[in-house]
Amino acid sequence: MLRFLAFRLSRSLLTLVLVVTFAFVVLRLSGDPALIIMSPDAPPEAVAAFRRSWGLDDPLWMQYLRYFTAILHGDLGNSMRDGRSAIALVGERIPATLALTLPALALKLGLGIPAGIYAALHRNSFADRAVMLLAVAGFTVPSFVLGLLLVLVFAVQLGWLPSGGQDTWMHAILPVITLGMGGAAVLARFTRSAMLEVLGQPYMRTALAKGVPWHVAVRRHALPNAAIPTVTIVGFMVGSLLAGAVVVESVFSWPGVGRLLVVAVANRDLAVVQCILLLVAATMITANLVVDLLYGVLDPRLRMGAREAA
Amino acid sequence: MIPAPRPSFQRPSFQRRSLLLGAGAAFGAGALPRFAIAQADQRPSITIAVQKISNSNTLSVLREQSNVGERTFSMIWEGLIGRDLLGGLKPIPRLATDWRRISDSVIELDLRRGVRFHNGDEMTAEDVAFSFGPEAMFGDTRPTAQGRTIEVSGDRIPTRAGRDLPPEVPAVARRSWPALERVEIVDKYKVRFHNATPDVTLEGRISRMGSEIINKRAYVEAETWFDWARAPVLTGPYKVVEFRPDQSLLLAAHDAYWGERPPIRQIRLIEIPEVSSRINMLRSGEVQFACDLPPDQIGTVESDKRLQVQGGTILNHRLTVFDKTHPQLADARVRRAFTHAIDRQAIVDSLWAGRTEVPKGLQWPYYDDMFISDWSVPKYDPAEAQRLLKEAGYKGDPIPYRLLNNYYTSQVPTAQILVEMWKQVGLNVQIEMKENWSQILSREPGRAVRDWSNSAPFNDPVSSIVNQHGPNGQQQQVGEWTNEEMNRLSVELETSTDHARRRQIFRRMLEICEREDPAYTVLHQNATFTGLGRDTPWKAAPAFAMEFRAHNWKA
Repeated sequence: MLRFLAFRLSRSLLTLVLVVTFAFVVLRLSGDPALIIMSPDAPPEAVAAFRRSWGLDDPLWMQYLRYFTAILHGDLGNSMRDGRSAIALVGERIPATLALTLPALALKLGLGIPAGIYAALHRNSFADRAVMLLAVAGFTVPSFVLGLLLVLVFAVQLGWLPSGGQDTWMHAILPVITLGMGGAAVLARFTRSAMLEVLGQPYMRTALAKGVPWHVAVRRHALPNAAIPTVTIVGFMVGSLLAGAVVVESVFSWPGVGRLLVVAVANRDLAVVQCILLLVAATMITANLVVDLLYGVLDPRLRMGAREAA
Repeated sequence: MIPAPRPSFQRPSFQRRSLLLGAGAAFGAGALPRFAIAQADQRPSITIAVQKISNSNTLSVLREQSNVGERTFSMIWEGLIGRDLLGGLKPIPRLATDWRRISDSVIELDLRRGVRFHNGDEMTAEDVAFSFGPEAMFGDTRPTAQGRTIEVSGDRIPTRAGRDLPPEVPAVARRSWPALERVEIVDKYKVRFHNATPDVTLEGRISRMGSEIINKRAYVEAETWFDWARAPVLTGPYKVVEFRPDQSLLLAAHDAYWGERPPIRQIRLIEIPEVSSRINMLRSGEVQFACDLPPDQIGTVESDKRLQVQGGTILNHRLTVFDKTHPQLADARVRRAFTHAIDRQAIVDSLWAGRTEVPKGLQWPYYDDMFISDWSVPKYDPAEAQRLLKEAGYKGDPIPYRLLNNYYTSQVPTAQILVEMWKQVGLNVQIEMKENWSQILSREPGRAVRDWSNSAPFNDPVSSIVNQHGPNGQQQQVGEWTNEEMNRLSVELETSTDHARRRQIFRRMLEICEREDPAYTVLHQNATFTGLGRDTPWKAAPAFAMEFRAHNWKA
């Protein structure tokens, strides 16, 4: 187990280094933060002074070395736009993003998994078709379209809910629904497929032949076996808790990490972009690690397999 | 009346606070008359949805070099000489009540007495001198003769107050005031500006954005420059309560304001990047103003009978800019062909619904007696364009046009129309989409045509044609264009005090830059549109600035 963890951690570290390096090179080669932040109307000498003060006129490799050394010392740098620490800037946006993504995750799980199970258990029924129709609609409609539709109906026409901003809990309702519906649809489809596959397995027939009641067979045998693909998807969803709401945050003017990322990329505010990328990569890697460990919990064969391989 | 905000999603804290304050006011009205007066404040609070509050995440007039900054800053900052936003942008007394020339290079100003900063301090000559001093403005830069490149160190500049002045601040300040030597304190309410060279534009420079007055004590007491720049203490009719970069800016009425009492209790600017979201918020009553509306959305907003769209032309012209080092554009006749192939009025009519206009070249009527009224942009004359191309021997080689995705209003459709118009006369212009300005201005081969806009921060051609296209202007600094005569004339225009000669110089500059050796061609004047309630007692100014002083809120 320790070897497994050590291997995964070292691979994760390598991933982080690659993410940081890739983002650094792409951002640096595709735009000059000085011109973007100071605006094209700024005097050339002001742009030049800005460049010099942030070391942007040094060779790229020198900038990278300086940046990487600072990261190793735990210094993720300061925002070039307002001089504040990148960690502080990102940190103060995290609660806003989690205020959307956590309820949205709950909505996805609470709606998607039961709907998928129900559809699978009632295969080819009207309910199954209705659930799948909604699921297809859910994941084919882009979130910005759904978001704008919800705003038009519930904010502009009915006036029940605010259309944007983050002043009260009511401001979160439409973005959470927008964010949750697509994920719930994906989960419903995956859960249904997984369940259908498991329900057709010989061990299910054997259990029923042995007189195990249908609901017990489903609970004890079908659900745990169908959980593996679902857990994989949920792992991705958990991994994208911090940066999975970029579009929705933009549509609803929600001041979270996603919107900060958009603004920081547009301004080539490297320290902030890198800080977010590191955070997102770390979250994704951790989520995947947990998912890998959960596989072993859910399926003893995987534990055995790992042991035999070792 | 402005559309009433829907009560269902008002901030609960406001409601609680209002109730508590109301109860307190009723309870203590007899014992606390001043408090009771405060509770009788019937002034409205408004929310304004904007695309951007500040690009630089600061509220510093010297660091934020954008149009959006002008809108925000007009509510909180004030200079010695102001612009009458609703009166043709004429210079008006603001923090100075009177001014006079002592010589060609010295101007004396009488300061308004009884002006209070947002922190209650009285404004004196000491604050004025500090505002134009090395700690807040110029750092370690020295005044230069005009026409020479300004030297600015890239190091952060430690000041006596123990904080670093970002190096771009003195760079911008020196561009505004290339030859200002010092501000002399004559007495508590009188100052003199001493320039190193004769300059007829000193009054204009004093009125421009970037020449506002700051409170010395607040600046010195701030922990860092950025701390100060996020909550500057100034004299404007509204003061900063809370600034959340990229999100919102809350302003409150500065009740000790020297002028009429500000008519709005609180102004909240919120950043809503999506235009559809801004319009939705206006229609649902969540905001009372929606700014930065593109012209194609005017009809959508005005289809709601409760709403209207105000606005119009501003002090900013859209240009097409040429790089004459590109092989196809080296011959001025090819660039001249570009300028004659454009039907500017068609662009104004089709993309701007006729709500802007084709100006008389790179100038504005507010230049007053420096405005060349008989000047015009090159005539739309496809036959002339074809003749010039033939004469120049242009063979149809591709000419790249670096383009941003709607950085300017309707930028992409304008570019598509332009390319078709150029194609009609035989110019093979090919659009290359770029993501940001550094890609647009990159000196790598392939830079030929691009978009730009030019403003006039004060009422003299020095503020536009010299600043943008002269020897220190961006176009020459990035190596797109230069002209020896233009450079010589730029220095003369900056330093000459002979009015007739200055007019002559300006006309000649227009001839060079727009006709003989085109550096650019003006397309149309820019315009800005704001959606608001039909009965809102407010008028839009011909500027990005929003005027919320008492005379522009007739409730």
